[in-house]
Amino acid sequence: MVQSKRQKQLFLLFCLLPTFIVFAIFTVYPLLNGLYLSFFEWSGMSGNQKFIGLENYKQLFSDSIIPKTIWHDYFLVITKVIGIMILATFFAVALTQLKIKEAPFYRIVFFFPNIMSVVIIGILWQFIYNPNLGIINSGLTLIGLEEWARPWLGSLTWALPSLVLPSVWAGIGLFMLMLMGGIMNVPKNLYEAADIDGANEWQQFWKVTVPLVWPQIKTSILYIVITTLNGSFIIVQVMTGGGPNNATQVMGSYLYQQAFKQYNFGYGATIGVMILILSLLTVLILQYFLKREKVEY
Amino acid sequence: MKLGKLLFKAGIRIPLLIWALIVIYPIIWMFLGAFKSNGEIFASPWALPKSFSFDNFILAWTEFNIGSSFMNSIFVTVLGTFLCLVFALPTSYAIERLKFKGSKILFNVYLSAMMIPMVLGWIPLFFLLLKFNMIDNLWALSLIYAVTQIPFSIFILTSFMGSIPKEMEESAAMDGMSPYGILFKIITPLVMTGIITVSIMNAVTFWNEYFMALIFLQTDESYTLGVAMDLMNKEAQYTNAWGALFAGLSIAIIPVLLVYAIFQRKIVKGMIEGAVKG
Repeated sequence: MVQSKRQKQLFLLFCLLPTFIVFAIFTVYPLLNGLYLSFFEWSGMSGNQKFIGLENYKQLFSDSIIPKTIWHDYFLVITKVIGIMILATFFAVALTQLKIKEAPFYRIVFFFPNIMSVVIIGILWQFIYNPNLGIINSGLTLIGLEEWARPWLGSLTWALPSLVLPSVWAGIGLFMLMLMGGIMNVPKNLYEAADIDGANEWQQFWKVTVPLVWPQIKTSILYIVITTLNGSFIIVQVMTGGGPNNATQVMGSYLYQQAFKQYNFGYGATIGVMILILSLLTVLILQYFLKREKVEY
Repeated sequence: MKLGKLLFKAGIRIPLLIWALIVIYPIIWMFLGAFKSNGEIFASPWALPKSFSFDNFILAWTEFNIGSSFMNSIFVTVLGTFLCLVFALPTSYAIERLKFKGSKILFNVYLSAMMIPMVLGWIPLFFLLLKFNMIDNLWALSLIYAVTQIPFSIFILTSFMGSIPKEMEESAAMDGMSPYGILFKIITPLVMTGIITVSIMNAVTFWNEYFMALIFLQTDESYTLGVAMDLMNKEAQYTNAWGALFAGLSIAIIPVLLVYAIFQRKIVKGMIEGAVKG
């Protein structure tokens, strides 16, 4: 090659440096500074930061709302994983194995909510749950179950479970597609062999499909967990704002409230550190439990 | 046996049809609501509109700032998508093709950033912007959007670059082309599919983004659609401007629908590849 070493290095710098600088300023620095801020009491005024050591963390452990927010987050994680995985697997199998002519139609429709704005999804579902105008209550009245009708999002017990359906609604398409990709890669002759051995569809699903699609199942579960722990507060913020009486408050929405509504920026940062640690720990633990020997037939 | 199979196939369609209905119905209902007067919405929220007038759209566009928010959203979407490409493309090339010392480490640094919840970083980011007087600034928001999508874009672009043959670059280098020329004249056109996939994904993400806009924008004039609609929704509890709210939602969703109709395959591919990173 004709280029000198120096020229090559310059080009390398041209490629890497600007990107890394903006990445460092807008991603790495904020995270580290957030960690730093968690040791301070700060109302946001410049020059008013007061070092208080672990006080914020002590407050975190004695704050009675914190355990609620953690429980709410994990409630959403668990219900979403179950709801999405069951429906997405069912749809993926139905659309790949059963030779349905209009399968592309379902695929396109089911995926669309994945690219809708969470704000729009939240507002739409607020209307679906609306006590007077919403379709859920009017539907229940129609089939004679008036006593089941209730102000869903305003109820202490029902507000949080009510958030699960919109989240599943919005999330299913992506995971259905991922599983479909996995299923289509399973060699056809395995099913034929299973047929000859007399295995019925249900057995084929558990003995052939699940083990061979396990990498996709694992990725899907991890992805649902990560996106829920890191992003559940958006739908909460739009649909309930954490209410009623903190019944739907999750870690992220509580951070927003503490930092940007009540100006406890130090404490807000402490909640952020908690979110970071919990989500990394959860992913690590899950990765261990979801590990399976690679299956080959 | 034959009959059983037939019944089974019919039975399997029922849940598929129900779910399709659950997905489509609220969206259609939103579009229909946009044509209704408030009286109609309250009288029978699930009925068809009596007439198709565009009053609500005009009201939303002018009175409720949806017009200016729409323009702001276009601005941050276009600028953010462009900036992200400017940052991600050269780095992806360097990581994938110029095997330098530490290229693997750098790649993993970017990759792990995709797993980390950014919400902790938003507090310092807010004060960083405040310090440089860039709160309420759409240029700054676009830049931050671009940076948040750098890891995802690098991840997708490197995988596209890995699949193009090396001969073209090698012969271009033999002919004395500079590495800059190789990157912009040879590589860029070859990974156009990847660039388009990444850009559509980024654009949809920026168009829909809500929380950073909520924190970093402070006045009506600079709000993007997500924030403007959230505000409109919360005000509607008092103003009862439901028809206008639905019109606003419809305006916000139409570009996404169009993009989805045109690029359905690319979006699906990008989403799946982005998700498989874990």
